[in-house]
Order: sequence, then C-alpha cells, then structure tokens
Amino acid sequence: MLRKIGFASAMSVITLSSIWSASASAEPMKVVASFSIIGDFAQNVGGDRIELTTLVGSDGDAHVYEPSPADAVSMSKANVVLVNGLNFEGFLKRLVEASATKASVVELTKGIEPLKMQEDEHGHGEASGHGHDHGEFDPHAFQSISNAKVYVKNIADAFCAADAAGCDTYKANAEAYTAKLDAEDAEVKAAVASIPEEKRTIITSHDAFGYFEHAYGLTFLAPEGISTEAEASAADVAALIKQVRDDKASAIFVENITNPRLVEQIAGETGIKVGGTLYSDALSKADGPASTYIDMMKNNISTIKAAISGS
Amino acid sequence: MKHLLSAASALSILAAASLAHAEEKTAWRLFVSDQAASVVHAIDAQTGERLASFDTKAPASLYRSDSGRTVFAVQGKGDTVAVISSGIAFGDHGDHGDISVEAPRLLDVSFDGKKPSHVVDHGGDIALFFDGEGKVRIVDEANVLEGKPAIREVATAAPHHGVAIAMGDHVLATEPNFEKPDELPVGITVTDRSGAKVGDINTCPDLHGEASSGNLIAIACAKGLLIAREQAGKPAIDFLPYDATLPAGKSTTLVGGRGLQYFLGNYGPSAVVLIDPKAKEAFRLIDLPTRRVHFVVDPIRAKYAYVFTEDGNLQRIDVVAGKIDAALKLTEPYSMDGHWSEPRPRIAVAGDRIIVSDPLRSVLHTVDASTFERTADIAVEGKPFNLVAVGGSGETH
Ligand SMILES: [Zn+2]
Repeated sequence: MLRKIGFASAMSVITLSSIWSASASAEPMKVVASFSIIGDFAQNVGGDRIELTTLVGSDGDAHVYEPSPADAVSMSKANVVLVNGLNFEGFLKRLVEASATKASVVELTKGIEPLKMQEDEHGHGEASGHGHDHGEFDPHAFQSISNAKVYVKNIADAFCAADAAGCDTYKANAEAYTAKLDAEDAEVKAAVASIPEEKRTIITSHDAFGYFEHAYGLTFLAPEGISTEAEASAADVAALIKQVRDDKASAIFVENITNPRLVEQIAGETGIKVGGTLYSDALSKADGPASTYIDMMKNNISTIKAAISGS
Repeated sequence: MKHLLSAASALSILAAASLAHAEEKTAWRLFVSDQAASVVHAIDAQTGERLASFDTKAPASLYRSDSGRTVFAVQGKGDTVAVISSGIAFGDHGDHGDISVEAPRLLDVSFDGKKPSHVVDHGGDIALFFDGEGKVRIVDEANVLEGKPAIREVATAAPHHGVAIAMGDHVLATEPNFEKPDELPVGITVTDRSGAKVGDINTCPDLHGEASSGNLIAIACAKGLLIAREQAGKPAIDFLPYDATLPAGKSTTLVGGRGLQYFLGNYGPSAVVLIDPKAKEAFRLIDLPTRRVHFVVDPIRAKYAYVFTEDGNLQRIDVVAGKIDAALKLTEPYSMDGHWSEPRPRIAVAGDRIIVSDPLRSVLHTVDASTFERTADIAVEGKPFNLVAVGGSGETH
C-alpha cells in the first residue's frame, strides 16, 4: 500500500511536469516582481504565459517598503522572483527568509556596469544617527535605457530557465520590447541634445538619477541620499540652496515617491518654480502619465525639457 | 552624481574603514522585573550572569525603546517611571552596525505623575501616559540618556486609562469617556505642536491596545481597528472594521510584526488574530488549545510569533501560513483565573533564544529559536515576571 502511494505520487509529478512543458494551456508561470518598473518589464516579456504579482506597486517606495505576510505567501508560491538587487529592496532578505521560497531569486542588475556611490554624507561616525548601509553601488540602474535592456535580457533568460517550453515566446517578446526601448533611448538623447549645456543641472528630492545623468549628460543634485530612508540634514539643504543661488541649477522637481516638502522649501527659498513631478523609483497609477516604463522615460524627459525651457 | 560632498573624501572614508580592525560581537541583555518586589534585574542573556539590580519605588512593568538603548520601568503604584540605560547601543550602519557595550545603569531622571500606564515609542519620541492625570509626557530618548526632562506635555480632558503616540509634529491621544471616566476611552484626538486639535475625534469605543509595525500604527476598538500612518507630515487615520466572518470578540492587546508588516492581537480568551491591514482578507483567526497567557512577535525571524498558553506550553505561530506550527512544554499550568497581575509567564526574544519567565519557580526558561528546543534555565530570585530583551550583533572598533 505504501509503495503504491509512493508510486502514484511519483506518477503525478511526472504528469504535472509533462503538462507544464508540453501544453500551451498549462497554468501560467507564477512570477513575483519586487516593484512596478520590474513588473512592467516582466509583463512585456512574459505576456499571457505568466501570472504576475508586483510587491511594491505604483507610486510606492521600495527603499522603505514593509512586506506583509501576504507578500510572503506570493513569494512562497512563485516560480520566479525578479528583483533589482544592489540593495535597492531593503526588505528582500527578510522576505525571502520568511517565505522560504524555492523559486530562483534573479537580480536583474547582473551584467550592468554599476555606478559607485560617490558620496556618503551620513557616513561612518556621523552623529546624525540617520545613516544606513546601502552598499557600495547606486541601485537605480533602470534609469538608463541601455541598462533596462539588460534587465529585459535577464528576465527572458530567467523565464527560459524556468519554463523551457515558452522560451521562444519570451525571446521574441523581449526582442520586440527591446526595439521599443532603443527607439525611446534615441528620443531621450535627442531631447537632451536640444537643451543648452549650461542649463543641464537640475534638482530632485532623492539621489535616483545617477544612471540617467551618466547615460544622457544631465546633472542632478538632491538633498536626500540614494535611499529615501536617510533624511537630508539641515547642512545638506543649506549647501544645496547655496548652490542653486550660485545659479547652477535651472529647474527643480518633486518625485512621485517622496514627500515634496523639502523640494518645495528649496524652491521657496531660491525662487525657482517646481517644474513638475519626476517618476524615479515607481510607475504612476494606470491613469497617470507614467504607467509604463517607456511612458515614464517619455514623461520625465519632457517634464525636464519643458521646465528648463520655461526657466 | 554629485551629492554635495566630494568623491575624494568619500574615498578616504572607505579606505579608513577597510584599514580598521573590526571584530564582530554579539550581546543580549534581559531586564526582568519582579511580580511583587520593587526591583529590576539586568542579566546577560548568553551567560545567565546577573549584571546589576536596580531598586524601584514599586513593582514595575518594563518597556524597551525601539532602539534598545533604554528600558522604561513603569511603576503604576509608585506614581513614577524610571529609566534604565541598557548599556547596549548600535552605530548607524543598518544591519552591520557598530555595537558598543557598557554596564547597564539607572539613569538620573524619572518621570513622576499619577498612575503611569502605557509607554509608546515612535521614532525615538516616547509618549508616557499617566492615567491618574489624563496627561501625556513626551520624552526624547537621546535627551533622556543625558538626564533631561520631558520635551512636552499634552493634557487630555480627564483622568482615564489611556495611551498616546507621538507622530512627528503631532500627538495622538485617547479621548476619555466623559460620562463614565472609569470606562475605556471612546476615540483618538490629534493635536499639533501648539496644542490645537487637528480634525475631528476618530471614534473608537472601548479603546485598548496599540502597536506599530513599520510605518503603520494600529489601535484596537470595539468593532475594529484604527490604522494610523504619517502622510505628507500629518497623521492619516482609517478605520478597519473586524471582518463579519469573525466570531464575536475584539482585540485589547496588540503587538506589531517586525520584518513583516502585520499585527497580532488577542481575540477572546483562547484565540489570537493575525491582522494584515493591506490584505483583502485582513483578519486570520488562530484558535489556541487553551486560554492565552502572553504573546510576542519574533523580531528576528519575521515568520514567527509566540503565544504562551495556560497549559504551560509555548506555541509557535507561523504568521505566513497563519497557524500554530509547534508547541513546547515549559512550565506547570498557569491558570488565567484571578487578577490580571497574578504572577504568570511572559515571553521575550533575545537573539537566537526565546526566554519565558516562570515566576512561581523563580527561573527563566530558555529555548533555542532555531530548533525550538529547551536549553539551560536561568535562576532569578523572587518572582521574575515582566521581561524585555535588548541586544544584537555589531562590529567593535
Ligand atoms: Zn531610490
């Protein structure tokens, strides 16, 4: 009897896996994406072969996100978990532990050239007590479109590894989407080229645009650090205001994920008008101007251009 | 990306850090009050060695701050709150912080007032509620460590058994029941720095029980919970009603998850309820084998919480699965009959160990948190009752 049960369950495993690999009507692959931008990439690559759960949704801040037990349940049931890596998701380690997930956790920044954090004003031995260890690198790699293409390739590879039967589909989807990314990349470059060089310094709330700066040649200054978790000190804000007054910045923006108060204060003290909202670490809601990654890049560059040409 | 400080100085900081010889150190301390005597003991959780004993005016309930640098000894019958420096502090490097370890000491500052009850820490602003006056004293942990007095006071309309939470520039405090001040509060009132009321009262009859988890605060009411969070510099408060599928009951004690965002509340005498305010099904009821004595969350292994039941068992709850997944017999039965302040076990988690006080046997039981097996007992004179644990690992330079 025992042997028979064992045999039966072994059979059912074989049956399940053969359905999984052979049939197009198989259960969709369960994919968990850590935040909205990765979720958009995953949907573009996975199409209807995947069932997507995005942990940190639109306008959500992954730096300070608090995962719930329901997130741990999603994670435990996932076939593939897609994350940014480079310490972007502060919650990741505890969530992986709590969920005991057996899925492969794929860091999509693998293969990009990470930018070193140049600066750490809340560094070692500071009395402020607000510093945190965010690792050596700036995690916001998705702010350059050539990096986004690496994310997309990594996603296709991860999906192929988990669902070989769908691999051709994933590769074709990735290729089509990459072509759209290339077109958007050219658009951003052209837009930046049309901005006079001496006007290419702008201010945002937190340090999320390092890769954008590196790829496209704008300079971003921010009162808050790489993570929104570390608050700006009064001295940081004073130094930034001085820099703006010295006429080094031509526009100032709020971000969808951070409290606008600090940016509004700097705007008020320097007389520069807030030029709109940039989407840094999260997409907008579906009815907003940045509900997909490509729309986010379009929205950000046109917002920047409009504010600078109006200044 | 130029974030105001030069790359050169950042490089020199990195170089200095890598040259320094760092040593990893772990320290955990238990602070244990007695059920009948006016004393708090400080014990090394790893060796069981008693480090110090502090006399208080009356038997104390203990609250540790979020940072673990201070332990508040609330003496309801002594009309005072004493503060102990735990002696363990962490530098500012997140998980891999620096640790500094000194002797624990009673601080040269106390907060006097009639019948202190609840202590709530929110980001280092600690609100002490004095039932006998209906007053809140808000203290800043960093100031308290330097022996400085309360930074501000907020008065409610009348003496009552209440609670308050400091939230940035605002204070959330209970609104007493005017007709029957002996009964539980009827809501939450928000005041700003100037003491002016902000918005209407947030109705919450039979208010008792409060906890925070991440950026959320939950407050238990007769028919559900108030969920408060800071939004654009102001408190935003929503009501989360109990699910209609729950049996009749309510929470009167809440604890907040660490690492995962959820709340655990009592619900009737023999159950607890897992509350996930963001989920569609926000409430999951977990029945217990007998009546409940005490419950805590595991601040290190986010997946677990523990409930001590009157049959002498420590029950381990898997908060992801929403069920009890292990039980361990630790003590003789402790009946819940009789007064709430009878000597009964309490639980604390100290690193890799779960500690359970056994006041009638004068010991602290210790349990290995990874294997969920008993390890050595720690003997403590008298009736060890309330306990808190502080500590962690870090580097010493
Ligand atoms: Zn960011």
